[in-house]
Amino acid sequence: MIDLGLFLFVMGLLALGLRRPFLWVLAYLYIDILQPQEIGWRFSAALPLSLIAFCAAFAGWLLADSKRGARFGLRQGLLLVLLAYVTLTTSWAAFPEFAALKFGWVWKALVFAIFLPLTLTTRLRIEAVTLLMVLTAGAIVIDGGIKTATGGGGYGVLYLFVNDNNGMYESSTIATVSIAIIPMILWLARHGTIFPPDWRVRMFAGALIFSCLLIPVGTEARTGLLCIGVLGLLMLRNVKRRAAYVLGAASLVLVALPFLPQSYFQRMDTIEEHDEDKSASTRVAVWQWTMDYAREHPMGGGFDAYRGNTFTYKMPVVTSTGNTTAVQYEKVTDQARAYHSAIFEMLGEQGYPGLALWLWIHALGLWQMERIRRRWKNRTAPGETWQAPLASALQFAQAIYLVGSLFQGIAYQPFVLMLVGLQCGVWTYCKRTDSLKDKPRRGRVPAAGRAKAGGAVTAGARALR
Amino acid sequence: MIDLFALALTHGLLVVAALRLLKRDDLDKDPELGPRSSE
Repeated sequence: MIDLGLFLFVMGLLALGLRRPFLWVLAYLYIDILQPQEIGWRFSAALPLSLIAFCAAFAGWLLADSKRGARFGLRQGLLLVLLAYVTLTTSWAAFPEFAALKFGWVWKALVFAIFLPLTLTTRLRIEAVTLLMVLTAGAIVIDGGIKTATGGGGYGVLYLFVNDNNGMYESSTIATVSIAIIPMILWLARHGTIFPPDWRVRMFAGALIFSCLLIPVGTEARTGLLCIGVLGLLMLRNVKRRAAYVLGAASLVLVALPFLPQSYFQRMDTIEEHDEDKSASTRVAVWQWTMDYAREHPMGGGFDAYRGNTFTYKMPVVTSTGNTTAVQYEKVTDQARAYHSAIFEMLGEQGYPGLALWLWIHALGLWQMERIRRRWKNRTAPGETWQAPLASALQFAQAIYLVGSLFQGIAYQPFVLMLVGLQCGVWTYCKRTDSLKDKPRRGRVPAAGRAKAGGAVTAGARALR
Repeated sequence: MIDLFALALTHGLLVVAALRLLKRDDLDKDPELGPRSSE
């Protein structure tokens, strides 16, 4: 039943693309996020669905799209350099087979992040991609949310469509992504035109956000709790009544606490006592190992270089007999431990140049979104009120991801690379509409009055650069 | 059952969104960038 439904949906979407080729771009994003072929794809397991959608999206853009307004920006250039660099490090990788395996999906995600902005030439396309990302991730989020609410959650227990702990279905990743999409949901509920804001949209958005908040509870991913905290702090910037917001958030937390399962508190307790927790201890050990490794291999050891690590550290083992509790430190030897942090993932695999590129790509994104937000926030003209909130939402989503990525090796998470692509598209679009608006004005206003008129809202020639 | 509900709800909305996108001219031509643009 689910198989048939998903199969028909994908085929339908690909068929609709014949009329509007942009839908193929959406089809690719959908397939890459949800991976319907993993959910149960008995019809055509051998069909390389992702590849078909990718080729269709690219061919549709190349042959049928006007490409008016398509620009190749600096961030896309940086992504291209990163792609070239990871190709290079794969050639000298310490573990060639594993490196080739990871390269197999990383290059696609990077290529699509470079390609996506070229297709985002209209406001509606930008909105469509935002909506598709939210609804597709929303499928996993709603599934996990309901299961958590009905008592099916737990660390490593929550089952999300597939029996796999990979990609979006990895518990910490989905916890991070579900919190990161909350600002995007809020934007769609206020500024959407595909589903214009009404009571149904607001109700759905509210329920979806609630579901998103339940994912870190259901997966018991500690990173998720951290991400909720970051979101709470970030939202402070945009709310009008800060005191009411803080009060409301605090009372919400107080009301929610009694409903959280005991196992959740036990898991969250380990955030502070990291020396008693193996997962946290190994992280610190891996990070130290990676720093040493980068000193010896400053250009990076290629994908999966962590497989070469082995280290011994002391772990406290608590034994209780009757009323006495004894703590003994035992030596534990570990090997091939993953990075558990995007920063160290980049440092170990791609060395200092790779890490610098990755940081540059993300820092530039935060900065570009800030530029748009500041430039558009006071505008009230029709068609000019959605840019600042969208830039802000995408910036928040990225910031939440960045905090989450400090504790997970998700440097190339395809969903996030889509977000990067979306940001690039928004940046190019805003830059372009702004310069178009400036042109006729500059033509009309005499030289003496130009500075004054330009400085009003649009800051004239100092447009987004 | 929950899987089916979550998939049906979101995919239903995705279908509606796709059909609405088909009917919109501004999917391919942005009114903001309008005919004024010579590019």
